[in-house]
Amino acid sequence: MARAPIGLKIRERRKALGRTQAALADSVGVSASYLNLIENGKRPIGGRLLKHLANELAVDLETLDAAADRRLIGDLMEIAADPALRDVAAQAGLAAGASADDAAAIVGRYGGWARLFSALHHAYLDRDREAATLADRLNQDPVLSDAVHRMLSNAAAIRSASEILNGVEDLAPAEIGRFHRILGDESRRLADVSRLIAGFFDAGEGEAAATSSPTEEVDALLYARGNVFAALEAASAAVLREAGVEDERWKSRMIDHLADRYGAVVDRGVRSGGAAAAAVYDPERRALSVLDSAPEPTRRFAIAKLAARLALAEPIEQEVAAAEELTTDAARAAAREALIAYCAGAMLMPTEPFAAEARRARYDIDILMRRFQASYEQVAHRLATLHRPGLDAPPFGFMRSDPSGFVTKRYPLSNLALPRRGGACPLWAVYRAFQTPEVSQRQLVEFPSGDRFLFVARAIAKSAPSFERPRHLMSIMLACDAVYADRIVYGDGLALDQRMAAEPVGPSCRLCSRAECDMRQEAAPTPMSAGMTENSHGR
Amino acid sequence: MAATRILIAEDEPSIVEALRFLLGRAGYLVDHVDDGERALSQLAAAPPDLLILDVMLPKRDGFEILKAVRDNQKTADLPVVMLTAKGQARDKRTAAEIGVNAFLTKPFSNTEVMDHVKRLAAP
Repeated sequence: MARAPIGLKIRERRKALGRTQAALADSVGVSASYLNLIENGKRPIGGRLLKHLANELAVDLETLDAAADRRLIGDLMEIAADPALRDVAAQAGLAAGASADDAAAIVGRYGGWARLFSALHHAYLDRDREAATLADRLNQDPVLSDAVHRMLSNAAAIRSASEILNGVEDLAPAEIGRFHRILGDESRRLADVSRLIAGFFDAGEGEAAATSSPTEEVDALLYARGNVFAALEAASAAVLREAGVEDERWKSRMIDHLADRYGAVVDRGVRSGGAAAAAVYDPERRALSVLDSAPEPTRRFAIAKLAARLALAEPIEQEVAAAEELTTDAARAAAREALIAYCAGAMLMPTEPFAAEARRARYDIDILMRRFQASYEQVAHRLATLHRPGLDAPPFGFMRSDPSGFVTKRYPLSNLALPRRGGACPLWAVYRAFQTPEVSQRQLVEFPSGDRFLFVARAIAKSAPSFERPRHLMSIMLACDAVYADRIVYGDGLALDQRMAAEPVGPSCRLCSRAECDMRQEAAPTPMSAGMTENSHGR
Repeated sequence: MAATRILIAEDEPSIVEALRFLLGRAGYLVDHVDDGERALSQLAAAPPDLLILDVMLPKRDGFEILKAVRDNQKTADLPVVMLTAKGQARDKRTAAEIGVNAFLTKPFSNTEVMDHVKRLAAP
């Protein structure tokens, strides 16, 4: 995936201000040659230096920020790979592999237009989805089905009766009367059911009108913030301090604190026959019922969420209010819940101790689960928040998929795109993990671009095993660049120096150029034909 | 020779009335049931010479009844005219597989019904 065009933006802005490389470099305390490397995308840039440059160039940090650009580049790539636009893309000489740099250049130079294209594509996909939803409703909705059936029966009766009245000679008056009555009755019924059907379609208008689902908007928020909320981290740490909670006796200390400070009550829930939720919260009484039979990590998490709900309502609300990615109440509610879970994670696995332990354990999730008494998903999620300066942790990407391939949580890496709609490459470990529930699958992969990653995935049961119910699994996958593999236990034993050791995979069939892969489900992007090279770049 | 007996299995009274009227005029003896279970018992007890059967009946599905008719030796060759509110290809196929003599979609014309009935069982 192409680097975000920060360098390009810096250059454009510098030129617009009429400043030389040397002068700008001097003003921020780097050499002109280093600045040149930055502008050409040969060196990454962030942190304090980026801030200085932003100041010197009199632009907002957000304008230069890479995260939004990376997402936009990904969007443009998806547009180029959309099957519906395949012919147009082919005629324009665009192919998934070849246009990554073009996309980066477009975003760098014409960010506004790129956002326009992206918005247009999203709107188009939404219309697509709306149409599919309506089609499904038409075919399967029982109310509509029944109404149509009735309508046709009414019409049949009316037709029959009319034909008799019009076609039969020598009808007795009584018979004429009878069939007229039928006409009247059936017409009335037809009127009613017609109105019902018409109303059915009107009601359907508001559905799927939003551009994104709440889940997608929350996803966008998490992505935009790099899955790290510094303010919430600080606030969570403050709560821990205030509650006097240390490692030992975490639960009892926290329960006492919540009772003292917020009058909250935590008690044992009783299993009332059949499957009961592990934890049930009554906001009015501020009472949390936690099942004794639920696993320890579940119980701790429930208490931590309660703490977040009560003690961090304000900072969470501030984050939600400030998030422009959230456009509906449903999205805001979903975001609130996601951030409560985030804070719960921060309270159970405070940053410094967790980062230290993780490094010591070489990011072995099972060890961390035992150490912090947290679930696999909680630990994995927390690992994906460690990519902060000063923590010296490898950046982890995170993805959660259900068995149908529906992705419900994703945090991509800068050079690893995770699918937003639909499934990823079927070869990825995240899917293989379903074959060995509760056992980790690790995988060293190589993309067509040459990028290599270490994937580790595990399918976990979402609820406690029960005789009455089938087991429902979710697959959680962490990903990191293969360069970090020697720091991670999951990289042990892999012959990392041998090119052959990595499994060839792609981002998804649609965006992957491996035409010979026998798991391919969609046609590969059309390769660029030599004759079009000249005209396709338009530089 | 006794008059030809037709059994109508249909739960829409107005449709039944129109059919009864026309069939009666044409010289047929018409009987009627309005749910699937009654249809099955009637077919077993006193098989008619022709069956007019709606796909959607209360208590038993029309295809179920059609299958029962074909499976029973006594009624395996009984002429059946099927009526449906939705003429989906799938329904037509299912009916053809089980064995139906005519398949009409509502709102049908009386002429259609009468033509098929007369073709399959003279009055």
